[in-house]
Amino acid sequence: MMHILLLSCLKATELIEKRFYFKLSFKERLQLKLHKTMCDACTNYEKHSRIIEKGIEIYQKKQHNEMDMTLLKSQINLRLHNTEN
Amino acid sequence: MNQNITTDLSKWVEEYTSDLYRWALYKISDSEQAKDLVQDTFLAAAEKIGSFKGESSPKTWLFSILNHKITDHYRKKVSQPTPLEDKSMARFFEKDGDWHESNKPKNWQDVDDNNLLDDGEFQAILKKCLDALPEKWSTSVRLKYLTEKNGEEICQELGITTSNFWQIVHRAKVQLRDCIEINWFKS
Repeated sequence: MMHILLLSCLKATELIEKRFYFKLSFKERLQLKLHKTMCDACTNYEKHSRIIEKGIEIYQKKQHNEMDMTLLKSQINLRLHNTEN
Repeated sequence: MNQNITTDLSKWVEEYTSDLYRWALYKISDSEQAKDLVQDTFLAAAEKIGSFKGESSPKTWLFSILNHKITDHYRKKVSQPTPLEDKSMARFFEKDGDWHESNKPKNWQDVDDNNLLDDGEFQAILKKCLDALPEKWSTSVRLKYLTEKNGEEICQELGITTSNFWQIVHRAKVQLRDCIEINWFKS
């Protein structure tokens, strides 16, 4: 009975990542929980992974910077003009 | 192309370029590629303008063209057939799936999540480590925040299986975490 609930660290970290995107099954949740009670490295991994997710989110939101639109507009007009001829 | 159409298009370039660009940049996080997509959007609009019937506003129409281009952009990136190499994971895990002793995630002591995320140096390391990933991997971990979509929707748009997707994310995150730990704690 126990062995079907035991995960390797590779599998446990896969589930940790999967959970950011998909709902885990009951069995997967149980497997992961059990693994973490026995494994400090994967418990650390999960904490770090959450921090990194938040970090990526913040990083993405900071990307809205301005630039010179005039140049882009003139480039587009130039290309539009070229396709006419 | 007749004169009216050219006038319309030039007017739209003037009015909507900035909004389209900001949207593209937000979605793909690469200013050069965002500019290209906006240019392509107007070129496609010029070609298809005959089918624009004015049922939606020009802005909505241009955004729908741009959104298609953004989806294509991601599809190309993520569906490039890069084989999932097991070598990349062999650096971190033994054959039986346990962590290599030397690469086990450490306890990040005295680290407060919120302070850490406000820390400019941490952000710089995160960016450096994201940039060090293969492009497909770094795109994959950012997609959720770029597109504000859930896992199912992302996979559907990209035309990849869910397990393929989270396995890429897993590889990317294992490497990213390691890179951050090495850089953050080396001092």
